[in-house]
Amino acid sequence: MNLNARTRGTYMKHLIRTIASAAVLASGLAGSIAHAAPIGFLETLHKNTTLINTVPSNGDQNPYALVVAPVSAGTVKQGDVLVGNFNNAANLQGTGSTIVNYHPDTKEMSVFATVPRDLKECPGGIGLSTAMTMLKSGWVIVGSTPSNDGTTNTKGAGCLIVLDSQGKVASTIASPDINDPWGNMAVVDNGDHATLFVSNAGFGVGGADGNPPVFKQATILRLDLDIPQGKPPVVKQETVIASGFGAQADKGVFLVGPTGLALSADQKLLYASDAIGNRVTEIDDPTTRDSSAGVGRQLTADGFLHRPLAMVTAPNGHLLVTNALNGQVVEIDPATGKQLYARWIDTDKAQSPPGNGDLFGIAMTPEGDGFYYVQDDVNTLVLAK
Amino acid sequence: MQPVQLALREPRGESRHDSRPGATLRTAIKRRAAPFRRAVLGTGLAWFALASSPAFAAGAANPDATPSDTPEADLNIQAQPAGQWTGVWTRSTLLGDMGGVRSWLGKYGVTLQATEVSEYLDNVRGGLKTGGTYDGLTTVAIGLDTQKAFGWEGGTFNVSALQIHGRNLSQYNLGTLNTASGIEAQDTTRLWELWYQQSFLNKRVDVKIGQQSIDQEFMVSSYAATFVNTMFGWPGLPSYDMPSGGPAYPLSALGVRVRGQITPSLTALAGVFDGNPLGNNPNNISGTNFNLHNGALYIGELQYAINQPSDGQMVGVPQSGLPGTYKIGVWYNNERFDDLSTDNTGLSLANPQSTGTAQSHHGNYSFYAVADQMIWRPDPDEPRSIGVFARVMGAPGDRNLVSVSANAGIVMKAPFAGRDNDSVGIGLAYIKVGSHAHDLDVANAALSGGPYGIRTSETAVEATYQYQVTPWWVMQGDLQYTFNAGAGQNPSDATQPLRNTFVVGVRTTITF
Repeated sequence: MNLNARTRGTYMKHLIRTIASAAVLASGLAGSIAHAAPIGFLETLHKNTTLINTVPSNGDQNPYALVVAPVSAGTVKQGDVLVGNFNNAANLQGTGSTIVNYHPDTKEMSVFATVPRDLKECPGGIGLSTAMTMLKSGWVIVGSTPSNDGTTNTKGAGCLIVLDSQGKVASTIASPDINDPWGNMAVVDNGDHATLFVSNAGFGVGGADGNPPVFKQATILRLDLDIPQGKPPVVKQETVIASGFGAQADKGVFLVGPTGLALSADQKLLYASDAIGNRVTEIDDPTTRDSSAGVGRQLTADGFLHRPLAMVTAPNGHLLVTNALNGQVVEIDPATGKQLYARWIDTDKAQSPPGNGDLFGIAMTPEGDGFYYVQDDVNTLVLAK
Repeated sequence: MQPVQLALREPRGESRHDSRPGATLRTAIKRRAAPFRRAVLGTGLAWFALASSPAFAAGAANPDATPSDTPEADLNIQAQPAGQWTGVWTRSTLLGDMGGVRSWLGKYGVTLQATEVSEYLDNVRGGLKTGGTYDGLTTVAIGLDTQKAFGWEGGTFNVSALQIHGRNLSQYNLGTLNTASGIEAQDTTRLWELWYQQSFLNKRVDVKIGQQSIDQEFMVSSYAATFVNTMFGWPGLPSYDMPSGGPAYPLSALGVRVRGQITPSLTALAGVFDGNPLGNNPNNISGTNFNLHNGALYIGELQYAINQPSDGQMVGVPQSGLPGTYKIGVWYNNERFDDLSTDNTGLSLANPQSTGTAQSHHGNYSFYAVADQMIWRPDPDEPRSIGVFARVMGAPGDRNLVSVSANAGIVMKAPFAGRDNDSVGIGLAYIKVGSHAHDLDVANAALSGGPYGIRTSETAVEATYQYQVTPWWVMQGDLQYTFNAGAGQNPSDATQPLRNTFVVGVRTTITF
């Protein structure tokens, strides 16, 4: 009896000790999570705020490209957010022709540019893709991945369109090396000259009927631009610096191909999101190489990535990549290739998984405390910060 | 399409696509099948013969061949002006921009949606009589986003109207309690919903006020919505037990509904509505009753979501849990309700001595539970999945025709390769007749001494396949078999039973 009681007492003490130590451990863990320095950028964000509906008066839909203006020029103020539309009012992909301008100071939106749909200099016309940038000289350069009927059955090779800071077409850039400039650009802007990196996802891609094959012909093209004072940029040199990425016609999303591009801080590496390969690769010496590096070296694959799309660099040097197949943005440390975690930024249950097909463009705020992104199913611009 | 463009596209695809010969072969075979392209293909094959060898050679020497090695046909494609019918087979709505109407409305934050559901259901055995009927429903809804319209954040205004046409199979041919189609209703053109919703606290709370059809938000099973039978939408119990069938299609009632996200996975809904949508004037079939005279319906629901993300949620490890939603709810109506077998003196209403005036009960209520759970998804990046659902509810059997109703079923999305937006499912709808209605039948049977249909329960089983023809057009094939039709009593002759029914039908849904 006595022994039993003692045994029971010991057991109870042991139990209490276990619970106590578990509690200490738990609170310690919680504490460290709460107070430790953040390991990445995404955990520092607080909330997602819908800013505007991006549909302009002509009814264009499906916002893709996002650029935060680096300077004030023409109708654009520094910090304004330019948003390109990929679809027209009938929601046909590859037919959108407008860029709207969200002004964070007034929370108003205006139309920055309406590019003529049938712009002759652009093979196939206009369907504004995610490839867009605004240079310090005030020129806006935007890609076109056009279609006549909303599918790749009638897609053209497209081009890059140079707009002045009033939103008027100044020139177009079309060449055999440009075929459906698709993903967000990486840019080195030195004022009077600049280097653009753009992915081309259209080579070989035909119609979307049935089970369309994957064509491993998508490229990353480097465009070295001269920007004479007061004149539109001219292409000094075009170099295919990466090639052999997969691209595929798609009934639902038009085209799947390499999309996001981002440069390392020292510009020694170019990161590319390879949607078909479900990975991010890195390309050496992107600003200087004169030959293709193939698809580059794999930095990371699968994990949180679910068909990676547009990509930006966070202030901590990490890569933020939006997923096509769910509503998550993924943070990657490019130094180690480690995927830190993901954050849900679109949980629309109308899709399965939530947010599937909603995300595309992403752009950091000028302060670096958050990012803008689009929810293209509902035509909205959202701020995560 | 221009022939020259095809001729150039073919060799490019076939010669450069060296890693997947099977796909190349498929492409070639498929394209050969189109007779009008034969001549073009001939040219294409010639091109192929010419182009393939250098391309392969180049490919072997340099795996990173640049695209400029072969000129792209795309460079020659010119923009064509888009007309009203451009891309009609691939876009999401039949009418697209409606010649500029939708984009013009969009400028003012207004959206216009219209759908037509048409169906032909044929009763091939049993019921009141065999034979088929056509039924149709046109729904038009107009929404207004107050942010877009005049800069007021978080407001949505909604008005919708119904045009109900055709003939109801259940009423004329079946006589079942589990009515065969969710669109069956009296032919009319009527106002449906008319409400304003305001969201607060970054959309965590919203309040909806106005004329509402509560089947749009309460007791909803998302998987059950695949089916045609009425009872997979607004269930059997409220359909028969709430006055006028409750504020559900094609009716609605004035009221207020509050929804709040308590935690990321727990949402609460609570509402109070007029207790009888047609109470002030049952002859008004225009939806303009705006009744506030017949007591109140209170309803509350808790929704618990599992494996479903919340906005801004951080994910530390890739997740593989399958999403599900579980709901429990209760409603209470504070009107008075007649007993279904006892009169105000305690006698059976079947008794010749009865006053004929039913005993009156204060209030009516029901508890319910709904579950939707995905149970199989081989690849989270693919749409193919299987989900199950169950819904059950109960109400007192003395004052209600239906004391228990239940649904269960299984639905598979994307059942075949390349059919991402198809669904196939089998479901069951069950109705148990309340004890007092049953007792009255027993009393009537005893009194008459002859044959008399004693109502017990009715079960309908439905199998259906939804085939998406285009993003704006769904065709749905449907089979429904009802056991113990009419719960054991012929509605047009209470002394007779009703033979089990078997309904074969097709429904088409067009989004304009």
